[in-house]
Amino acid sequence: MPSSSIAAPAPLPNVTATLEQRKTIRVLAIGSSSTYGVGASSGSKNYPAQLTDILEKALKGINVEIINRGVSGEVAKTTAERLRVEVALTHPDLVLWQLGTNDALARVPIDEFEDTVTSTIQWLKENKIDVVLVGLQYTARFARDDSYAAIRDTLRKIAGQQNILYVRRFEAMRYISSMRSQQTMVSGDDLHLNDLGYHCMAEHIAHAVIANLFVRRFRPPTN
Amino acid sequence: MRAPNEIDFWRGFALATIFINHVPGIFYERFTHRNVSLSDSAEMFVFLAGWSLRFVVTSPGQPLSAFRLVLRLVGRAVVIYAAQILITVIAIALIAAASIYFDAPPLLEWHNAAAVFEEPVATHVGLVLLSHQLGYFNILPLYVVLMTAAPVIALLDRASPWLLLAASLALYVYALLGGMNLPTWPVEGRWFLDPLTWQLIFVLGFLIAGPDTGLGRFARRHHRVLRIVAIPFVLAGGLAAWFHYSPDPLRVPDPKLFFMFDKTFLSPARLLHAIALVGLFAGSFRYIARALPPLGSYLSMLGRNSLNVFCVGSVLSLAGQIARFEYGGGIGTDTVVIIIGIVALGVTGWVSEWRDRLRARLGPQPSPSSPPQVSSPPASSRRAQPT
Repeated sequence: MPSSSIAAPAPLPNVTATLEQRKTIRVLAIGSSSTYGVGASSGSKNYPAQLTDILEKALKGINVEIINRGVSGEVAKTTAERLRVEVALTHPDLVLWQLGTNDALARVPIDEFEDTVTSTIQWLKENKIDVVLVGLQYTARFARDDSYAAIRDTLRKIAGQQNILYVRRFEAMRYISSMRSQQTMVSGDDLHLNDLGYHCMAEHIAHAVIANLFVRRFRPPTN
Repeated sequence: MRAPNEIDFWRGFALATIFINHVPGIFYERFTHRNVSLSDSAEMFVFLAGWSLRFVVTSPGQPLSAFRLVLRLVGRAVVIYAAQILITVIAIALIAAASIYFDAPPLLEWHNAAAVFEEPVATHVGLVLLSHQLGYFNILPLYVVLMTAAPVIALLDRASPWLLLAASLALYVYALLGGMNLPTWPVEGRWFLDPLTWQLIFVLGFLIAGPDTGLGRFARRHHRVLRIVAIPFVLAGGLAAWFHYSPDPLRVPDPKLFFMFDKTFLSPARLLHAIALVGLFAGSFRYIARALPPLGSYLSMLGRNSLNVFCVGSVLSLAGQIARFEYGGGIGTDTVVIIIGIVALGVTGWVSEWRDRLRARLGPQPSPSSPPQVSSPPASSRRAQPT
C-alpha cells in the first residue's frame, strides 16, 4: 500500500532542527489504547517501541527516547490536559498523539473535539514541539457510523490546516482487513492490530520522519 | 438515623456531582459547581473522608488502645478495597456486556478496560494490586491508600497534631518537587490521583475536624476572619474556572508543579481553593436546610451512606455513558440518565438505612460464623458534628 495514502506527508521542523544539533530525540507517546500495545503479544512490541527500533536502525548514531503515557479509553479533552502537563515535565521534541475513537464513542460534540485538538496543536507549535496525529481504528461496524466519519473528517481537516503529519490508521487498517486472507494482521477482535500491524504502522511513522529529515534537506523547495 | 447535618450534606453533594461529572459530555455537567470552581468534588470528597476519619478515630467515651485503633482503621481500608474490587469487576462486566449486546468492540477500550481484555494475565494482577485502574474509578484506590496510612496518621496525631501537619506538608512538598507519583502497571503510566500529594487534603480534613486541638481549634476560633480571607481565593478560582484559565505549564517557573493547576498532583492552587471553599461555606448548611429542606435531607442521606452511594453512582455513570453511546448524547437521553441516577442514589441511601434500622430492631445476633463488624462504621454509630 502506498505510504502516501496512509500518512499525509508534512514537515517535522523541530525534530529536524534538534537532530542537527544533538543525537537524541525524545518522543512522548500519548493517547488511547494502542499507544501501549493492546493486541500486541508483549508490551515491548507496541508501536512507540517499534518506532524507536526502526528509527535507531535507520538513523545510525541517533538515540530515540520514548516516554509512554497512553491511557486507553480517554477522550481527547482529557488527554489534552494531561498532554500539557506531561510536555512540561518531560520536554519532548515530538508528540505522537493517538486520538479519535473514544470521542466518537462518547458522542463528544464535533466542534468541541475540533477546538480541543486545534488549540493543543497550536500550543505545541508555539512551543516548538512537533506533533504526529494517529487517527482512529477501522472496524467494519463503525465504518458506517456518523460520529466516526465526522471525527475522521475533522482529523484530516485539522492535519491539512495545521500542516502536520497525520497517520490515517483507518485507511491502513481497512486495507489490512481486506488483505486478511493473505496474511493475518488483525488480532481476534478485529479492532486491534497485532504485532505485524503495529510494525507496519510504526514503519509508516518512521518513514515519514526520515523522509522529512532527508528529503527536505536534499530536495529544493518546489514553490 | 442521625439528623441531616453539614458534613453528610456536603458529602452527599460531592457524591451527586461526582456522578454527573463522570458522564463526560452530559448536558447537565454545565450546571455542576466545577464550572465556577477551580477545585472539584474530588477534593471535597477526600477532605470530608479525612474529616470522617476523625469520628472513626475518636470514639465517644474511653479512647481506643493503639492496637484496637489500628485494627479498626485497617478494617475500614479492607472494606473500601473490597468495594473498589467489586465495582471494578461490575464495570468490566458492564463494558463487556455492552460490547456484545450492541455489537461494539471499540467499547472494550473504554476507561482503560482494554488491557483487561487484551492482556488479562498481567492486568488481573494489576487490578488486585490497584496498579491498574479503570478511568473514573480512581478515587477509591486513593482512599484505600489513605486508609491504609490512617493508623500512622492517627497515631502521629495522638503524639502531636502539629507533628502530623508538618510530616504531611513535608511529604506533599517533596512529592511536588520531584513529580513523584505511584506507577501504574501493566499499562505504563502514573496514578490519576497521586496519593503522595492528595494525602495532604485528607490530613487537613482530619485535623480541622478535631475541635479541641491544633488546626481545628484555630479554624473554629478564627472562623469569621478565615471566611473573609477565603473570599478572594474562592472568587479567583471561580473566575479561572469560568474563563478556562490555567497557567501555561511551559511558562511557569520551576518547580513547575507548584504553579500549575494540576489535578493529578493536587497543585497548591487547587488545594488552597478547596480549603477556601470549606472556610467560606462551613456553617452555611443551616441556611440551605431551612430554605430547601428536601434537598438538605436528600443529600444528607446520600452522605450518611457514602460508600454504598459512591459505588452505585460509579457503576451508574458508566451505564449512563453506555446509554449515551447507544442512544446519542442529547438533552432527552441526558435527562433520563440524570433522573434514573438521582433516584437510584436515593434508593441506595434509603435501602442502606432500612437495613440498618432492621438490624437495630432485631438486635445483635451473635453467631460464631458471622464476621465481626469492622465495616463502615454503621451510620448510626458514627458521630458527625456540624462545624
